[in-house]
This record gives sequence, structure tokens and C-alpha cells, in this order.
Amino acid sequence: MEHILKKLPAFVDQIRQIQEVIISNIVLIGQTPAPTYHEEARTEIFLERLSDAQTDYCATNDYNIPIGIIKGSSEGSFPPIFVVAHLDTFLPADIDHNYIVRKHSISGPGILDNSLGVGVLASLPVIFKHLDLKFESDIVLAGVPQSIGKGNLQGIRHLLDTWDGPIRGAVIVEGEKLGRLNYYSEGIIRGEITCNVTATGGWEHRYKPNAIIILNKVIDEILAMELPQRPRARVIIGKINGGFKHGVIAYNARLGFEIQSDSEEMVKRMHSEIEDIVNGIGHENHVNLELNIISNLTPATLRYKHPLVKNTVLIMKALGLQPASDSGESELSIFLARKIPAVTLGVTEGKNIHLESASMKIKPMFTGIAQLIGVIMAIDSGVCDES
Amino acid sequence: MNHSWLKTNTFHHSEFKDIKELVEAKNRKQLTISLCLPTLNEEKTIAKEIIIMKSELMTRFPLIDEIVVVDSGSTDNTLDIAKSYGADVYEAKNILPHLGDFTGKGENLWKALHITSGDIIIYLDADIKNIHHRFAYALLGPLLMFDHIKYTKAFYDRPIATDRKKIRSTGGGRVTELIIRPLFSLFFPELTQILQPLSGEYAGYRSLLEKISFPIGYGVETSLILDIYEKWGLDVIAQVDLDRRVHRNQDTKALGKMAFAILKTFINRIEGLGKIKLDTELFHEMIQYKLTAGEYETDIYEITGDERPPIISIPEYCKKLNRQP
Repeated sequence: MEHILKKLPAFVDQIRQIQEVIISNIVLIGQTPAPTYHEEARTEIFLERLSDAQTDYCATNDYNIPIGIIKGSSEGSFPPIFVVAHLDTFLPADIDHNYIVRKHSISGPGILDNSLGVGVLASLPVIFKHLDLKFESDIVLAGVPQSIGKGNLQGIRHLLDTWDGPIRGAVIVEGEKLGRLNYYSEGIIRGEITCNVTATGGWEHRYKPNAIIILNKVIDEILAMELPQRPRARVIIGKINGGFKHGVIAYNARLGFEIQSDSEEMVKRMHSEIEDIVNGIGHENHVNLELNIISNLTPATLRYKHPLVKNTVLIMKALGLQPASDSGESELSIFLARKIPAVTLGVTEGKNIHLESASMKIKPMFTGIAQLIGVIMAIDSGVCDES
Repeated sequence: MNHSWLKTNTFHHSEFKDIKELVEAKNRKQLTISLCLPTLNEEKTIAKEIIIMKSELMTRFPLIDEIVVVDSGSTDNTLDIAKSYGADVYEAKNILPHLGDFTGKGENLWKALHITSGDIIIYLDADIKNIHHRFAYALLGPLLMFDHIKYTKAFYDRPIATDRKKIRSTGGGRVTELIIRPLFSLFFPELTQILQPLSGEYAGYRSLLEKISFPIGYGVETSLILDIYEKWGLDVIAQVDLDRRVHRNQDTKALGKMAFAILKTFINRIEGLGKIKLDTELFHEMIQYKLTAGEYETDIYEITGDERPPIISIPEYCKKLNRQP
């Protein structure tokens, strides 16, 4: 590892020398809308960028996942290294996706989540050439669709389900935040509770129920649930909407929530409790109250002492970064659940990540990319093979 | 009228997507190419244009040899940003200063001929929000691949940013449809085949551009077409479909001023060609009205219609670029 760590600080300035290539990729990709399930245009431009960079192999698989492969020198003796970033964004296609590049920053919708990640991914072939880096393993660069929200990580699940052969290790690239190091993921159930108060038919209501008030009862009961200190567990009430206008009782309302725990058993138990709450309140109030699961993940982890984690920490420190570890969901869970060593890294700093005014800082990005390259080099040198 | 030009001289940018082929043609013909971005307060878009052109058409493919920004006196951070991303930045007033200083896009384009060195010059407006390198390579395509084509114009869908969030398609430009197309139909029906004569993106051989005069303001696009058409004919011109261009919207009053300048240029040209005879001099003021505190106030904007002569007639230019007048 020493030889890798020594090279990294110099990489930062070398990467900066080709900043226009990296920023062009971020802008051209980010300005192409990609709401979940509608990532075709971004898929096309991502592939085009890889192809323009003369990546050895560029194609989409049968699930329309764009993949670029940089052939390794071992000609298959070592399994490939995956570097992935999710293509989709939470933003609708019809908003203004134009980005503004300034001297020190780039701003525009979705820049941090995850145009930056995809742009960096598309730039890696050029960066590797510029740094004169060659790898033993094939480097598989995959932009994965259908990741966030209702996409439920279907893209990465499909990619790994259909990938033939072992995978040496993986790095997931997210726009922010530089210093982030995710190597474990909690179990999750993400659900929606919908309440519909029928206007006609069935039993007449003596006192018309209000869908928002009903969901309020549900929230009260969820908040009253007893959660253990160990295993850690929590319920996040993340979204709510409903109603029609100020002076009319709400006929419908919707609540989005997420159960999180590092114990799969606990996630299931809490889901079952919420199901009971929903059924009970629905019955007592004669309303149509439904709970639907949008997505779920099983908990998975690498230990801190895993060589990939330990060496990633060393790489980050060599670049002056202070690693901050937290649970990371996303593609990481899917790799870890398949026993593939993986980490999620952030590329730069920014603000307003989920607003249309999101912006990223340019200068820290070069350190973020150097860190990413360091981890790829570490995996190529065998840190995941020991496990 | 012969409509064949529309078929033979209209291209789509995808026909020139093989940039490597364009670079080969450029090298074979031993040409150099300059990109000029005229600016006035374009801090939101200038960096993107420079970065994408530099990345795609200089770093990846050596198609463009220099990127030059010529500025009319920006008061925002346009110049600082442009310099930081590696463009050669000039203030128009400092180029050939002894010849005076006008403010206008045409002035910038004319002065760009003096400070660039390319055999071909591409002019791109600096306010393009969805800039893509096709804006440059597609305009170069016909110039490099067809020996008889010497000047190319862009056309495209023109969605405009209507507010902070939404964009909508406008079809053709309002000034084009209300002013230029009727005038072309009346005096130069062949030129109606040029679908967007006012598009701000065009490219041409220096050997043509240096021999024609440049109105200092908005009339420059119209005059370039008319002068090239008159001197060399329509066949040296081609138009290229760039698909889509997103730019900031201009209000009707601003378009009125633009129309005024274009009309002046046009009338001067057709009078010079003997197509009409004016018995009176044209006024120089565009007079508009605005409602202020319940009263109408005049809003007068002077547009003199000054023109720069063919730059080949400027000795400093001939000396610097080793050109024969």
C-alpha cells in the first residue's frame, strides 16, 4: 500500500490539469434529465462519453444498464473491480436542468445526487490515461438506473444477478460528501401508508373522518412504539401529503416512512407492529387505510478491520481527509449482501443537495477523485483478496 | 425561385459526429481554426462554453486551435471566469484602440478577426445554456468536408427559459418571422431558405470574412448573409441543424431595438444595391414608450448604424496576419 499512498497527493494536481474534461462530463450528463424509470437519455450520453474516451468495451446489458469496461492486464486472472454510480435523480424531467459553472463551483438540480458521481465515473478512462495507470483487473464502470425511491435498487440488483463470475471489490461513487466512508448498511423497510375516505358507497359515516387526522393518529401510535437501544432501530416519518383545499375535509392522504435497524429481525418486527397499527385504525375509523412496502434492504456490513475499510481509511488520511462513517444504503447494501467487499465514497463538498439550487465545490473534487482512484488501486493490489 | 439550395446545403449535426474525420480534413487542408465568443455580462454561461469546447475540441480532439473571448465591457465576473478556464480574453476597446470604440456584438466579431489567427473563425453566442460541442463541430463540418462551402449558419429549435423552472419551445424567432423573412421574401426570395438567418452561431473562412464590412450591432448577422450572398452567391453558404438551443428570453422591447437595427442595416444594403431609392435620411433613434406613475414616458435608444469596413483594409491587420489588401 505504501507505494499507492505516496502517489496520491500528486494525483490531485494531475487530475486538476484535465478539469475541463471532468466538468464537461458532469455538465453534459447532469443537464440530461433522468427521473427514476426514465433514465434512457442519460444512459445514452453516459455511454457516449465512455465511448468518446475510447473505453475498451461500451454497451448496455439486457436491462439497459450502461457499462464500460477497461480491460485489465491479467486477462481475466483476477476478477473485475466494479465502480458504480446511480444514474437516476429524484427530479422531474420538465424542470430547467441547465447547470451554471462558476470559478469555484457548479450549480444545478441533481448536481450532488448524482450527476457529479456519474460525471466522474465517465471521466475515469481519461483520468487513468492521464495518470498513466493500468490495472490487473478489468475495471467495470456501471451507471445504474432505477436506484432511488421506488426504483428500490433494481438496476444494481439486476446487474449483479446477471453478472457471470466473481467480483473482486466495488466502489460506489456519490457526489457528496468528501470524507464519507460507508462500509455497512442497515436493514430498511421503506413504506407508504395511504388513507382514502370514500365519498359514496358502504357505511355512511356519522362524522366524516378526515384522512389527514387519521394519518395523524397513525403517526402518534408509531411514535409511541417502544424501540430497543440494542439492536438499534428507528422509524423515520419522512413524507406526508394529502387534502384538497383549506375548507374541505381531506379525503385522501399519504404518509411515507422508513424503518431502519441493524437487525433484520427488528425491521420485520417493527413492520409487523406498524401493520397492526394501520389495520386497527383503519377498522376503528371505517376508512380505507393501506400499508405498502416500496423497498426493503437487509442489513449488511464489512467489519472495520476488513482490509478494504482499513486501507480506505489510510488512503483518505494520506489525502488529508478525516473519514466519517455512517450507515450507507444504496448500491452498497446490494454488494455487501452478496459478500462483495464494497465501500461508498463521496467526491466533494456542496450544499442544498436535494434542491434545484444544489451546488458543488470544484476544488475538493480533485481530492475526492484521487481518493477514489486510490481505493481502486488498493483493490487491484489485492486488499479484498485477503478476505 | 430555386428551392434546391435548401436540399443540397442543409445539414444535420449528426452528419459530422465523427470529429476524428474533421480533424483529418483540417490537417489535410493545413487549416487552423479559432473560436470566438463575444460577451457582455455572461458569467452564468461563459465557463460552460469554454470548458466544453476546450475539453471536447482541443483536449480530446485537436480541432480548434484557440478560444478567444471578446468582451464589450462586462460588469459582472465574465472576464475573470473566462480567464480562469484558460480562454484568451480581450476587451474590445483595447483592440485596435486608435480606430475608436463602439459597443456591440458586430464590433466584437470584427475585432476578433484581428486578434485571432485561424483560417476559419467560429462565432458562438455566449448565452447558450445547453451548450454542446456540436455547436462548433457541426458548423465546421460543411466547411471542412465540402470545398465550395465557405460560410455556415446554425438553425435549431429554440426553447426559451420562461421562468426559473420551466422551458418551452418557441418555434422560429419572432424577429426572424416578423422582420427578416418578409424582407427576404420581398427582395431576396432565395434567402428565405436560410431558416434562421439571425442565429448567433456561424462559422466562415477568414478569406471571406475579412473582405466584408461588419455593422457594429445587431445587424451583423443580416449583413453577413447579404454581403456573402451578393459577393460569392448562395452556394458558398450552408446551414446546419443543431437540434435545440436554450437561451434566455428577451422582452418585446429589446426585440424592437434589435428589429430597428436590422431594418437599418437591411435598408442600407438594398439601397446600396440599387433595389430601392430613399428620398429621405433615416433617423437614428428607436422611440419606445413606457408607463411610469400613470404617465407615458419616451424611452429613446440611439442606434446609429455604424459599420466597420472590411478588415482587410486596415493596415495593422494586414501586417499582423500577413494578408494582402
